[in-house]
Amino acid sequence: MKATAGEVLLDVKDVKLSLGGGKILDGVSFQVIDWIREETTTGQVVSLLGPSGVGKTRLLRIMAGLDAPDAGTVHGKDKAPLEAGSVGVVFQDYPLLRHRTVEDNLQLAGKIGGLDAAAASKRTQELLKTFALTERATFYPAQLSGGQKQRVAIAQQLVVPRQLLLMDEPFSGLDPAALEDVMKLLVDVANLHELNTIVVITHDIRAAMAVSDTLYMLGRDRKPDGTLIPGARIQATYDLVALDLAWRTDVQTLEAFVILEREIKAKFRTL
Amino acid sequence: MSKLARAFQPNRVVDSSTTGLIFLFWAGTALLLWFASPWKTLPTPHEIWVALGHLWWSGGMGPEMFSTLKLIAHAVLLTTVISLLLSYATIIAFFRPVVAMTSKLRFLGLTGLVFPFTLMTGGGYTLKVALLTFGMTSFFVTSMAQVVIEIPRAEFDHMRVLGSSELRIFWEVVVRGTLDKALDVLRQNLAMGWAMITMVEGISRAEGGVGAMILDQNKHFNLAEVYAILVVILILGLTMDYAMGALTNIVCPHAALGRVQR
Repeated sequence: MKATAGEVLLDVKDVKLSLGGGKILDGVSFQVIDWIREETTTGQVVSLLGPSGVGKTRLLRIMAGLDAPDAGTVHGKDKAPLEAGSVGVVFQDYPLLRHRTVEDNLQLAGKIGGLDAAAASKRTQELLKTFALTERATFYPAQLSGGQKQRVAIAQQLVVPRQLLLMDEPFSGLDPAALEDVMKLLVDVANLHELNTIVVITHDIRAAMAVSDTLYMLGRDRKPDGTLIPGARIQATYDLVALDLAWRTDVQTLEAFVILEREIKAKFRTL
Repeated sequence: MSKLARAFQPNRVVDSSTTGLIFLFWAGTALLLWFASPWKTLPTPHEIWVALGHLWWSGGMGPEMFSTLKLIAHAVLLTTVISLLLSYATIIAFFRPVVAMTSKLRFLGLTGLVFPFTLMTGGGYTLKVALLTFGMTSFFVTSMAQVVIEIPRAEFDHMRVLGSSELRIFWEVVVRGTLDKALDVLRQNLAMGWAMITMVEGISRAEGGVGAMILDQNKHFNLAEVYAILVVILILGLTMDYAMGALTNIVCPHAALGRVQR
């Protein structure tokens, strides 16, 4: 499928962050581009890969507008700095308001986002249906399984359409069947139209490769003696569109996919 | 493993019938100890029952109970309002020292505060309400401020990424999100109020109350009457405790869902 690069949706430029005197991020720069595919208006999935403890979640918090970097900028589509509330975020442990039912959680997101009660209710019902949660509408978060909570958390971020949806470790701790479900869910969400782009923060190489059109690898440099230098930055970029490994349901069976996975794994071990 | 054997194993869940059996066993043991008690200071259940009849029909126990309930209700209302305002104020750095200081006041005994409180309130009913409110507030604030402090940052962030205002975050996360815990803390403080009532009502006996009644009966060494009043206090306290539990389940049905059964 032919695709051409459109406008820049997210522009992360030279982001630096230190905590407790230790460097966490040291000049992280990357862009999320709106790919335009022929005969379709589907969105895209970009993954930010990196080993545990490298600063992925810190970077997500900066991109979400929750924390400010020590230096550098994060701009959205309109070239304005991103603020909390301007992009959707699904956190790793799917926090929901435990005193509200699934339906109430979604409706509240609508009201906060500026919808009137009727519009929030209509949107809620649509999303409950889309995410197969209608039967769980009156349940409290404590009554849901991990997968159901994740679906509610994603649906909640979609009540009011926003350009970007950031997801922190959506593949973490899942069994193979659940992993397949989440991967499909991500692609489905990207194709919902309302949200064009999902940025996935993960350390799961295979899952990230299977759902993404672009991979960024976050990691630290090493000294000649092999010790890690504090402060992560983007170490590699993989354009899966150019490699013809994006937006394909059979991608995991392709030889090129397997070879690239091996290459990325080898690189991953050095970060 | 048999159902009964599980009752003696650590961290085992037992069914409701086994729980009932365990309860009956301990209730029976307690009654047996009571009936067979060699201590003369412990009146028999019959003596207590008779004393209760005397107190109720000719000792004016009904009005005294009403007086105590009114005092407790008044103090609990004031305690709840003051404590919740102080506890919620912990989200603002400026007020944290005030909250911490209020919490530390729980180490002060009420007896030493009677004189300054009498000067401030003029004594009587107002003094009793003030003392009881002070005693309960210091404990309520200690527990509730901890609840507020322990709200995970993720809950605030979750609301922020939805685009919520800080005022709405305060309402949803701090007030509504901790309501079940606030009711639980109130429940514990209600019990504390009953524990303090004898002392507080003893300070100014003119208005009566079950606390003043106990002290009067103590003075005349009427042990059966003293125990009869204690039984009434226990029944009233347990009824209120049960009512608070039921209220929590109605107002916050999600609270029970989070409890882990062991």
